[in-house]
Amino acid sequence: MATRTEMRADNFNEFFRHWLGEQNQDLRQLVAAAEAYENRRRQLQNCHQNRAGNGHKDNGERVLGQIVEKVVQHYEKYYEIKSRCENQDVLAMLSPSWRSKLEDAFVWIGGWRPSMAFMLLYSKLGLQVEAGLAELMRSVPTGDLADLSQDQIRRVDELQLNTIEEEKRISEKMAKQQQKMADSSMTELSHVVTEMIRNNETRPEEIGFDSARVRPVLKEKEEGLESVLHMADELRLTTLKKVINILSPIQGVHFLIAAAELHLRVHEWGTQRDATAAAAAASSSRNAGN
Amino acid sequence: MASVCYGGETKTSTPVEPSSKSARKRRMEIHQFNFVPADVAVMSPESGRKSQKREASSLDANSREAEAEEFQKKCLNVLESDSEGSKSDPEVKSAGPKFGLTSVCGQRRDMEDAVAIHPSFSGGSHFYGVYDGHGCSHVAMKCKERMHEIVKHEVENRTNEEEWLETMTKSFSKMDEEVTEWSRNSGQLSPNCRCELQTPQCDAVGSTAVVALVTEDKIIVSNCGDSRAVICRGGVVTPLSNDHKPDRPDELKRIEDSGGRVIYWDGARVLGVLAMSRAIGDNYLKPYVISEPEVTVIDRTPEDECLVLASDGLWDVVSNETACGVARMCLSAKKPKSPPRTPGNEISVSAACESSDKACSDASILLTKLALARHTADNVSVVVVDLRKDL
Repeated sequence: MATRTEMRADNFNEFFRHWLGEQNQDLRQLVAAAEAYENRRRQLQNCHQNRAGNGHKDNGERVLGQIVEKVVQHYEKYYEIKSRCENQDVLAMLSPSWRSKLEDAFVWIGGWRPSMAFMLLYSKLGLQVEAGLAELMRSVPTGDLADLSQDQIRRVDELQLNTIEEEKRISEKMAKQQQKMADSSMTELSHVVTEMIRNNETRPEEIGFDSARVRPVLKEKEEGLESVLHMADELRLTTLKKVINILSPIQGVHFLIAAAELHLRVHEWGTQRDATAAAAAASSSRNAGN
Repeated sequence: MASVCYGGETKTSTPVEPSSKSARKRRMEIHQFNFVPADVAVMSPESGRKSQKREASSLDANSREAEAEEFQKKCLNVLESDSEGSKSDPEVKSAGPKFGLTSVCGQRRDMEDAVAIHPSFSGGSHFYGVYDGHGCSHVAMKCKERMHEIVKHEVENRTNEEEWLETMTKSFSKMDEEVTEWSRNSGQLSPNCRCELQTPQCDAVGSTAVVALVTEDKIIVSNCGDSRAVICRGGVVTPLSNDHKPDRPDELKRIEDSGGRVIYWDGARVLGVLAMSRAIGDNYLKPYVISEPEVTVIDRTPEDECLVLASDGLWDVVSNETACGVARMCLSAKKPKSPPRTPGNEISVSAACESSDKACSDASILLTKLALARHTADNVSVVVVDLRKDL
C-alpha cells in the first residue's frame, strides 16, 4: 500500500523511461514472431502440406496469442501506473515533462487520440494489401492484416464509429471542465483577491495558490480534469484491447508492431528535435550574452 | 442487423429488420449478402444478340496508364498461374445474381454512405442502390429506406409503352419530394442525426443515388450525383453512369441557363458549395441542383460478368478498369481449400455464409481494402453483382 501512495507523477518519468525500454523489447519479440510465422507459412505453402501442417500451425497461433496477450498486459500496466499518478497530480500528467513537443502537439486529453487506432490499422492494412494484391485476388491468405475478413472489417467499422462517438462525448466533457475555469467561484475569487492586493490588505500566504481560500477552489477544478483524464485513458486502453480482440493472433502481432514502431519513432524524433532546439537556444543566448 | 446474409439456394430469404431503435442507431454500415434467388430466370439466347439500347458515354476515368499496365500484368500473372482454377465450382448450379457488399467509414469521422439491396424486389427484378450523403447522413438513410419502395411502385404501375427514363425520373422525383417534405417536418429526425442542432430545416443536406435494376433481360442504371455503376462484359469495362460534376460541359450549361453559377473553390462547385450537379435533397440549391437521373438501359448478354456500384470513396482512387479487374479476378478465383479463419468467439452471421459462394463478397471487400490502401479520404461503399448466368 505504501508503494501505491508513494507513486508520484515525478516518478512516472522514471517509469516511462523504463517502460519504453520494455516496449523496445516487446517490439523485437513481436517482429521475431511475425518473421517466424511468415517463414513457417512459406514452408507450408511450398510443401503443399496445408493439412499436415495444421497441428503445427495451431501451436504457432497459440504462441502468437500469448505474445499478443503479454504486450497488451504491458499496455495495461502503463495505464495502471498512469492512473495512480493522475490521482496524485493530474496537472503534471496532463502536460508531462517526458513528452516531446512533437508528441504534445498531437495529444488528445493526456495521450493518443483513440480514433488514431483505426487510422493506424487501415494504414498498415493498406501497405499489406498493396504488397499482397496478387495473392488476395486469388483468395490466397496473406497471413497479415490484408486478410481481414468481411466480418472483421464490419466489426472494426462498428468499433470505429462507437469510438469516435465516445471520443466526441469525452471531448465535450473536457470542454465543460475547461469552460469552468471562468465559473462564478473563480471569477469571484480572482476579483476578491485582486482587490485585496490592490488595497494592500493581505499577506501572500493568505491569497497564494496553497492558501485555505484558493486551494479548495483549484482542487475542485483539478478533480474535474482528473475524472475526464481517467475516461480518456480508459477509452485508449479499451479501444486497443477491442481492436486486438477483433484481430487474429498474427494480425494482432502486425498491429502491435505498427503501434510500437510509431510510438517509439515519434518519441525519438520529438526528443531529438527538442534537444536540437534547446541547443540552438542555448548557443543563441550565449552569443547574445557575448 | 449489422450483417445480413442469405445463404445458399435452399433458404428462403426474409430481410432481417433491425430489432430495436438502438440497433438502427448503429447504422448498419456493413452488410454481407450472398444471395441466390429461387426463381431463376433463364435468359433467352436472342437477348444476347440485341444491341445496347444506349451506349453510355465513356467516363473521363482517372487515366492512370502506368497503374493500369502494372495492374494488368499482375492480373495476367494470376491468370496464368491459376488457369486451372478459374472455372467455377460445378456445385453452384444457380444462374441468379449473387452479390457482395462492403461499406465502411474509412478515414472520415462520419459515416454518410448508405447501401440498399433488395433481391426480387419486384417480380424477377433485383434492386441495388448506393447513396452517398453530404451535409449529414439522413437523406442517404432515407433513400436507403424508401427508394426501392418508390421504384417498386412506379415499376409495377408502368405501362408497356413507358420508357425506363420516365419511370426512373418519376421515382427519383418522388424520392426527392419525400426528403424535402420530411426535412420540413424535421421534428422526427433520428437522434443520431448530427445536423439536427445546426440546421433545423435540414435544407443543406443531400445524397447521391445510383440505382441498378437487374431484370431477366435488362440492366437499368439510374444515376444522380457522383456515385457510379460500371459493367464488365467480355473483359470490356463500360461505365453505365456518367458522374454529375458541375464542370461537365452539359451540366455547366444547364446550371448557368437556370441562373446558377459554378465557382471553383476546392474544385468546381455549384454556387461554390456543392461538388456535384445533381442530388437528392439539397433544397437550397434548387433549381441548379436537380434530382433528375440519367438513365442507361442495356440488354443483358451472355458475356456479362459483373456489375460494380460504388460511392466516390472507391472511384476517387480506383479506376473503372482496376475495379472491374479486381472483381473479375475474385469471381473467377478458385476457392481456398479452407476459408481463412475468423477469430473471435462469436459465431458471426457472415462466417455462417462462407459455405455458400463468397466470391462476390471477396470482390467487394478487396475493392474496399484497395480504396483504403490508396488512402481514400471518404467513406467507401462497394456492391459487386455477379451477372454470369452459366454457372
